[in-house]
Amino acid sequence: MTGPGSVRFEGVVKRHGETTVLHGIDLAIQPGEFFVLLGPSGSGKTTALRIMAGLETVSGGRVLMDKRDVTHKEPGERDVAMVFQSYALYPHMTVAQNIGFPLKMVGVKAAAIAQQVAEAAAKVNIGHLLERKPGQLSGGQQQRCALARAIVRQPRLFLLDEPLSNLDAKLRLETRLELHALQRTLGTTTVYVTHDQEEAMTLADRIAVFMEGRIAQVGTPREVFSAPQTMTVASFVGTPQMNLIPGRWEGSAVTVAGHALPVSRTAPGARDVMLGVRPSDLWIGSSGLPARIERIEDLGDSAIISLTGNGQILKSKGDPQPSRQGGDEVLLTFAPATAHLFDPHSGARL
Amino acid sequence: MHRSAIRQIALAAVAGVGLAVWVFPVIWGLLTSFKAERDVLAYPPVWLFKPTLDNYREVLFGASSILPNLWSSCVVSVLTTLLTMLIAIPAAYALARLKYPGKRASGFYVLATQMLPPVGLIIPYYLALQRIGWLDSYSGLTATYLTFSLPFAIWLMVSYFEDIPLEMEEAALLDRAGRLRTLWYVILPQVRGGIAVAAIFVFLNAWNEFMFAVVLGGNRVRPVTVAMFNFISVEQTQWSKLAAGAMLAMAPVILIGILAQRHIVKGLTFGAVKGGGRR
Amino acid sequence: MAQLLSAPTLEAQERRFALALFVPALAVLLLTTTVPLVYLVWNSLHRLDLGMPWLSGFAGLGNYTKMGSDPRFWNSLLLTLIYTGSTVVLQVLIGLSLAMLVMQFPKGQGILRIAAILPIVLAPVVVGLFWRTLVLSPDFGLVDLVTRALGLGSHNWLGDPQLALISVIAIHTWQWTPFAFLVLLASLATLPADVYEAARLDRAGAWQRFRHITLPLIRPAIVMVIILRMMTALSAFAAIFAATGGGPGSATEILNLYAYRTSFSELNLGYGASLAVVLMSMTLAISYLMFRLRRAR
Repeated sequence: MTGPGSVRFEGVVKRHGETTVLHGIDLAIQPGEFFVLLGPSGSGKTTALRIMAGLETVSGGRVLMDKRDVTHKEPGERDVAMVFQSYALYPHMTVAQNIGFPLKMVGVKAAAIAQQVAEAAAKVNIGHLLERKPGQLSGGQQQRCALARAIVRQPRLFLLDEPLSNLDAKLRLETRLELHALQRTLGTTTVYVTHDQEEAMTLADRIAVFMEGRIAQVGTPREVFSAPQTMTVASFVGTPQMNLIPGRWEGSAVTVAGHALPVSRTAPGARDVMLGVRPSDLWIGSSGLPARIERIEDLGDSAIISLTGNGQILKSKGDPQPSRQGGDEVLLTFAPATAHLFDPHSGARL
Repeated sequence: MHRSAIRQIALAAVAGVGLAVWVFPVIWGLLTSFKAERDVLAYPPVWLFKPTLDNYREVLFGASSILPNLWSSCVVSVLTTLLTMLIAIPAAYALARLKYPGKRASGFYVLATQMLPPVGLIIPYYLALQRIGWLDSYSGLTATYLTFSLPFAIWLMVSYFEDIPLEMEEAALLDRAGRLRTLWYVILPQVRGGIAVAAIFVFLNAWNEFMFAVVLGGNRVRPVTVAMFNFISVEQTQWSKLAAGAMLAMAPVILIGILAQRHIVKGLTFGAVKGGGRR
Repeated sequence: MAQLLSAPTLEAQERRFALALFVPALAVLLLTTTVPLVYLVWNSLHRLDLGMPWLSGFAGLGNYTKMGSDPRFWNSLLLTLIYTGSTVVLQVLIGLSLAMLVMQFPKGQGILRIAAILPIVLAPVVVGLFWRTLVLSPDFGLVDLVTRALGLGSHNWLGDPQLALISVIAIHTWQWTPFAFLVLLASLATLPADVYEAARLDRAGAWQRFRHITLPLIRPAIVMVIILRMMTALSAFAAIFAATGGGPGSATEILNLYAYRTSFSELNLGYGASLAVVLMSMTLAISYLMFRLRRAR
């Protein structure tokens, strides 16, 4: 490692011809952090990652690593390792040669290469596959090979571009845990791109949520989940999506379709708001918003109930409700402290 | 069942005829090359005859030996192939993968140069080579052969380079390989097949070239394609010797054709799909 | 401003590298194609007759106007069109039929591949000589043996003007149909089987399946084959030269050969150059049209 591994973006802008992909991004990543760039496709998160790698140029702004301006440095000069979504393994080389390639490129002696390759391979459990070619490996094994190639150099920064998206669901969960453990062991700053908010929530120390080329929020997973700064962040994080209900906030209640629903904050004055309640915070009770059950998805240990209320579809997630069925008229309620309030026009949190 | 069997037989028969039409003339030539002159001119045609190696002996070691011609063909073809691949591979990589000013125009230019019919170039070539004294020389012939080899090789290699995922180069750059070493260690090994195909085609085209050879060659450098005419004159055709000479002249390309048939078919279809190709 | 600063490293380095790789090829191509081309056009504007050197000098468009009233030129143009048109059509028809036939026999493909490669790898000049001597010779050639056996008598395949044209077309077709065959076979092999199964379920007959599924799907390959084969046919030289030399008389003298003969047999380099320019323009125009056609569809 050639430095503790902090990364800063200062007003980074990226334009592609007429389109602006990134509108002035600011980021401050701490050394040793597992930092996730989360967002839907096209939000600019992968572009931001590639700018860190030096694979894309910037149209404006600066990139700093360990306080040094690397905006115009070649990818090879930044001491950064990347795991691509497609792994980008060299198909004509063996696993050992793949992993050893970055060492060979900087002139490490053959004996030292062999040793370091063995160490890196052991860390990801592919020590027994060193003589195979990538074409002979399974998807999971290829991914580990790509990982080994990244860690063998002991770089100051790891960049991972949706590395789990090509794996099947079960493998994805297992690998996720191993990745987390690996990062903790190595202690290297890691920047991870994904569109899967569950991955982000479980892996990240901090998350930066990207929306349409801007950062909507930066925070720990807990912060992003329980205090989303905008409606779009609130809808993006959490499954099923947060229920967003338009209403009027007066006093300490929000009136929706004539029903006053208590919230824990008092309005400075009467105003229109968008009330946000997560499905897991919304349940069927003895008072609240009238709604009709449309469908119940019984998942075994929990149930997702889709209802129509206030002219829109609402979802509730909770314990199974064997006594309820489609067509039932019920009342939906929530704990006042769990309500989120947003400005209906700007989407900002109030 | 019955109808399908008849259909199968009929189809097989037609396919067989097709096969015969294409293979038979070559076999006929092969047979003729082993016949004594009088057996050739016999009618009805003689199928069982006493094979003789006289023709080959004459053609190789006799007065009208084509050995120097085989040598000429060899030298020119090998030189052309080496030079072409050396220049074409980097150029194709640049066209396929790198950004530089005028890239689209230069790509179109390479494509356009393939469209030039050789007869248009041969007159200027003749006059130019005459002026610099490169007529009847290996340098002159090789230089002109580049005209048709280079664009073709470039286009073939471009399609092979385009098949490699972009991330290969990005990964190598991040691994500190730099652009040149990326090309050498990572990219080129992956297009080995393409290089083989291109080299084969360039060699074949060079070996079989006639027009340039006959106009720009002479007594010293006379490829084997021109030497074929030694056996034909106004008075008589030396049938069996011509057959033997042709067999020898075509032996290298037929050998390559049979050994590398998969490569050749791939090259033909690749080149045809992606655009360009003299053959 | 920031762009200028970012230019020196990442993009500029790529640019320098790219140009270093490309420039040798560019230089060679310029030297071997563009410069001679300019020279050719220059020559075509001169009277350069090595047979009558005292007449040499600038002639402007004189050569081109002379062409207009030159019957041999118009003859060669017509022959070029007939030659190119017939051989390309024949190649595609025969090649396609054979390819479809062979699709039914996955086993024989290895042998057929070799059989198909043989004519393609042979030098056209050798093919021409072969046909001239062993195949088309009156009395002794293969074709004559067959026609005599069938009672159709012996003919002067290359000596009779009409037969000569047919013969050279046959020679070219013989040599290049395998190319069309191989390309179309490869194209047919990529067609998805399930589309046909769906068509069968929709009760489409064999001909309908061909017309509505096969043909549209392999159209790009057919167009490519037509373009490439046209290019080869327009510049065909060696085989005709070997078989007939352009004769008898001018019966097989396509424009290509006419230009050659004018320049190197009659030594009228200026006029020959102008003929070559016309052929070149024709080729470029046709290839441009065909590429536009390909892109448009």
